[in-house]
Formats: sequence, C-alpha cells, structure tokens
Amino acid sequence: MNPGLRTSASGMIAQQKMVDVIANNLANVNTTGFKRSRANFEDVLYETVQGPRTSAGDATVGPMQIGHGVRLAAVTRIHGQGGPEQTGRPLDLAIEGEGFFQVQLPSGDTGYTRDGSFTLSDSGQLVTNSGAALVPNIVIPPDATNITISESGSVSVTSGKNAQSVEVGKLELARFVNPAGMLSLGGNLYGETVASGQPTTGVPQEDGFGRLLQGTLESSNVEVVQEMTDMIAAQRAYEINSRAIRAAEDMMSSISDLIR
Amino acid sequence: MPLRSIINTARTLSYYTRLQQTTANNLANVSTAGFKGDRLTARQSAGDPHPVPVQAIDLRQGTLRDTGRPFDLALKGDGFLVVQTPQGERLTRGGSLGIGNDGTLVDNHGDAILGSDGPINVSGRRVEIGTDGSVSVDGKSVGQLRVETVADPSTLTKEGAGRFIPGGATQAATSVTVAQGALEDANVDPLLGTVDLITIQRAYAANLDVLKTMDGVMGTVTNELGRV
Repeated sequence: MNPGLRTSASGMIAQQKMVDVIANNLANVNTTGFKRSRANFEDVLYETVQGPRTSAGDATVGPMQIGHGVRLAAVTRIHGQGGPEQTGRPLDLAIEGEGFFQVQLPSGDTGYTRDGSFTLSDSGQLVTNSGAALVPNIVIPPDATNITISESGSVSVTSGKNAQSVEVGKLELARFVNPAGMLSLGGNLYGETVASGQPTTGVPQEDGFGRLLQGTLESSNVEVVQEMTDMIAAQRAYEINSRAIRAAEDMMSSISDLIR
Repeated sequence: MPLRSIINTARTLSYYTRLQQTTANNLANVSTAGFKGDRLTARQSAGDPHPVPVQAIDLRQGTLRDTGRPFDLALKGDGFLVVQTPQGERLTRGGSLGIGNDGTLVDNHGDAILGSDGPINVSGRRVEIGTDGSVSVDGKSVGQLRVETVADPSTLTKEGAGRFIPGGATQAATSVTVAQGALEDANVDPLLGTVDLITIQRAYAANLDVLKTMDGVMGTVTNELGRV
C-alpha cells in the first residue's frame, strides 16, 4: 500500500474542513456580533527512515523523512472588531473595544455575548433575543418613556410627566485573558472554559473595557471578499490532492499488472 | 546481466515511489502556515554505481500574508522561534499563536514560545511585537523573543506540527525580521508540485517498461537459449 494515498487523502480532508469553516463564516455574514473563524493546519508525524549522517568525504546529508500529510491544528476565532451599524433602536447596544455582555443562562451558568440587540421581558427586564436576562439584572419601570444608555453603561429613564431622568441600573462587561479560548455555545453566546481563563468584570470605558454605543449594533467581522478568495484557494488545493491520489493509484495499479 | 538490471530498476521504482510520497506530503501541506517542503534528489557518490536518494528540507522563504491578527507571527529571513515542548526545545517558523490561560504566549498546542528569559507573559490590552522580536504590552516592554538559526540546516529533523528538532547548537539569528499580524504561507508551489506528479508518474511507467523488457530477456535466456 502506498502511504502517499493516505497523505493526499489527509490533504483533501483538511481542505474540506477549510471549506466548512469558510461556509460557516459566510452563513453568518449578517449575524450581529459574529466573530469569524479560521482553520489552522499543521504537518503530522514524520517517519524517519534515516537520520542525518555524514557520508564519506562529504558534507552532512540531511535526514530521510517521510511525511504523512496534514491535519487541522485549530480553528481560531478571530475577535476583531466588527463595524458599527446604526439602527436607532434604543435597546440596541454595540461594544466598541473589549468586553462581553453577561447573560443568565437557563442552566444557571453565565453566558457571554457581543450581540447587544436587547428587548424587554414581560416584567420589564432587559433580556437578549432568546429571553436570557442580563447580568447584572436591569429592570425598566413600566411607565418609562425614554431610555438612555450612556457610553459607560449607565441606564436611565424618564417616566410619566417627570422630565428628570432617573438611573435604574448600570451595565457591566466581562473580559477574558484569552477570548479565543471561549466556547461557542450557539445563539451568539460564548461560555467560559479552562483555556479562556477567569472573567474579569468591570464598567465600560474603564480598565480597558470598550464603550457602549446606544442605537447601534456590531455587525459580524466576516469579509466576504476574503472568504471567497480563501474558498477558491481551498478548492484548488483539494483538486491538486485528488490529482496526487490518482497518480499514486496509477503507479500502484501498473505495478500490480506485473504479476502474470 | 538482466538480473542486475532488474534489481537496479526496482531500486529506481522505489525511489520514484518515495518521491511521489514526498510530493504528496508537500501538496497536502499547501495551506499549512510556516510549512517547509521536502526535496528529494538522487545523488551518485564515488565508488557506488547506484544513485542514492538524498533528502533536504527546502528552507526557502514563504510568502507573507497579512492577517491583522496580533498573535499571528511570521519570520522574514533565515531563523526560527523557540518552543518549549515536554520533549525539549524545538524550532518553529511561527504561525497562529495565542495566549494561554495563564497569560503566556503559546502555540497551537499550548506550548510556550520562549523569550530570552523564558516564557513571555502577554496578558494585557495591546500586544506589540517589534520587527526585532521585542514584545511589549500596553507600551511596556515584557520580553524579547528568541530568534535562532542553526549552523548546518541539514542537521534539522522535522517533528510535525511545524516543529524542527535542532541537531546541533543554535545561535541567535542576526538577519531575521519578525512580522506581527502576518502568516508565512507554505513554500510549496502547487503548480510545480502537480507537474512533478506527472513527471514521476511517467518516469515510473517508463522504468516499469524497462523491468518488463528485462523480464522478457530473462525468460528467453532461461527457456530458449539452452535448447538445441
């Protein structure tokens, strides 16, 4: 059996994974707060047929090693800032800079998100699209007429005939040493993992946290042109690896023809 | 004589099989950042009638591609970064690095990329890596990346995962530029690789024909020649 077959197959599998990642990025090109991912590959174990040696009266000859292809090393999420998209809706929030909104998950854990398209629950709580309440909990009085959220996260309302706005709560953000290590939970939510480290919470605009923009949403950081170019490259590389399989197969079949 | 030829041709066939495998591995890694292709050539040494296959790692520079991700590192020039692995220090051409949960600069496997004073803590807001390998976080210097070269590249052994085992002593590189926010593409040319595949396939078929001819000659010699 020619090990070159498996080597080329690993190349095809890798390019397939690349297309999978690109397809997911492209599918989420309009998802609020979405962060694109990138497939990273690495070469796999080498079989050392012969170590480096010095041939008689000659310079050193390099080692003889047979590589066994490629594998997916990591899918890295790239936490670059997405562009701000004006919506004018008072409960839409974008974070410009670092930080995540914290939400209460049904499981009791805290989820983290960059998607700031909030709504109000029946009890006046500020909740995400899926109904998860923000941490810390913020309740808007039922008679509130105007909601203002400052860049530093202070939520104030005016109610009834009272023209004076009253602060009803303060939004907090969380930050991780290694945000790329967080787990995607779906629904624009991320979870804390061992790799991400412990969250640090704080007030927007302080200690390196980003500022909040009311009436704005953060669009996804996927660039369609870049994804398309990557996709073409992956497609060609896939073809070349299948060509290598055909070559190896041809060589194998002709040698087996020798036996009469 | 035909028997000797058959053996020689068989050696040639096995050389082409290995060449095919090497080319297949190069092509499989066409999207692997920091990958260095292998080159297999045949060399005739004095006193030996048969050419022996000689392998060398192709250490030519790969193209740098901008990614804008601050933890993507690429090297320009002849040198390597140093990774602390459980098996010892390894060399690598950089790639998609990240932060470990303790804040140190690590590679895809979570192994620390070494600075002149060991692992570098890069937790902070803005990480800047200078072209000389100096690392600063939020404007404060936190370390200096070790960038090293080997005197004789033929002593390098590949370990997989983009890592090289240095066979001899390493020394600080002098002519290397560190590029932050960039990845080095594999230095494999997919077009040349595909052409190589065709050449290998044809050369293999030609040698196989030689083998068949020699086999025919052997058959004639053993079956026909002795007949009166």
